[in-house]
Amino acid sequence: MDRNYIYLTILMLVLAIGTLLVNNEPKLKQIEPQQLLLEMVQPTRYVTTDQIAKMIIHGDPSLELVDVRSADEFEQFALPRSVNIPLDSLINSSSLGYFGIPGTKVVFVSNDDIAADQAWVLTKRLGFKGTYVMRGGLNCWMETIINPQEPSEGSPNTAYETYAFRKGAQQYFTGAKAEVAEGSKVKVEVQRRKKTSAVAGGC
Amino acid sequence: MHIHELNPWRTLIVLTVFVAIMIVGFVTMREPLLTYEMDMKTSVAETKSDDSCFYLWQLVGFIEKENADVVLFDIRDNFVFGQGHIPGAENLSAQNLAREESIARLEELKNKNTTVVLYGDDQLQANGPVMLFRQVGFDNVKALVGGYQYYKQHKDDLLATQNDSTLMQEIARYNYAEMAAPTNGAAINKVSQKKTVEVTRRKKTAAVAGGC
Repeated sequence: MDRNYIYLTILMLVLAIGTLLVNNEPKLKQIEPQQLLLEMVQPTRYVTTDQIAKMIIHGDPSLELVDVRSADEFEQFALPRSVNIPLDSLINSSSLGYFGIPGTKVVFVSNDDIAADQAWVLTKRLGFKGTYVMRGGLNCWMETIINPQEPSEGSPNTAYETYAFRKGAQQYFTGAKAEVAEGSKVKVEVQRRKKTSAVAGGC
Repeated sequence: MHIHELNPWRTLIVLTVFVAIMIVGFVTMREPLLTYEMDMKTSVAETKSDDSCFYLWQLVGFIEKENADVVLFDIRDNFVFGQGHIPGAENLSAQNLAREESIARLEELKNKNTTVVLYGDDQLQANGPVMLFRQVGFDNVKALVGGYQYYKQHKDDLLATQNDSTLMQEIARYNYAEMAAPTNGAAINKVSQKKTVEVTRRKKTAAVAGGC
């Protein structure tokens, strides 16, 4: 009888020692590489600068812009309502709290879109949902929203519609609201009817 | 009488069978096609490195078929590939990258120490797959900087791209703060100086103009 208990004890000791050898590093949950590969070949993660501009203007509360540039660059210029998480501190526990909140859309922003896309891949590997990449990055933001180019003659109608929207967005983002007031305000013109003949009138 | 006392070996036998089943289970466990070999920390650090970049001028030898240790994969879909691609490139569309035979091919190329270069329409398209392959241990996989669009613009003189500064990624091409500032420095101040609307009244010229 005693011997049986000895066997059991030895087994438990072996298992206990085994757990010491298990990698103790805190592991972040990750999705399967194959799953990640399948998700990344879909272009659904890209959003355009126009879409972002629209969301900011409408004050969409679900939008969460994450700027992955360095703190210096962020200091100089950043999109309204964006938070700065430089790419190298992306997986710090304090940064990870920004991702995966149900109902929010996290949009990564960088100078171009490569760094933003890298941030997307890294957070996706950790299984976060609802993350996007601003296509073209801030360079494209400057070209499309801050300094939109008028479409050439003969462009489809939609090009003009986009341009009209961008022009409006430009005024919104450059704080040039005063310009709107000046440019588009209907001039108050007081026009009086001309009196044609000297004797016209009378009550 | 306790049941174990019937056969003192019984517990040992059960234990051995248990351990044996566990071992068989582990050995025959189907290994996933891909596993991460690079942890998150290294993966983050790698975003700063240049290792995963392959430049257009490095392709010169490849296109002239002198360079046998580079294999170029076009990850755009088959239709676009048919309309034009870099000479010597093989089509392996992004949708098929996760297939077993594609992985096997990469495995084979890795063992031969061949550099695998992926390119899409732009650099962005190849960025994700290249990052993933490097994370699962294919450190011979690189992305063509600039992608096909860039190649198309410079295919006549690939070597000249060596000094092309527009190729630099993640560089601010504009002074954002300046550009996004109010269009003319004074625009904001102008709000306070409201222009008064001047209403000019026409002078009545005729003396006898009537009315009430």
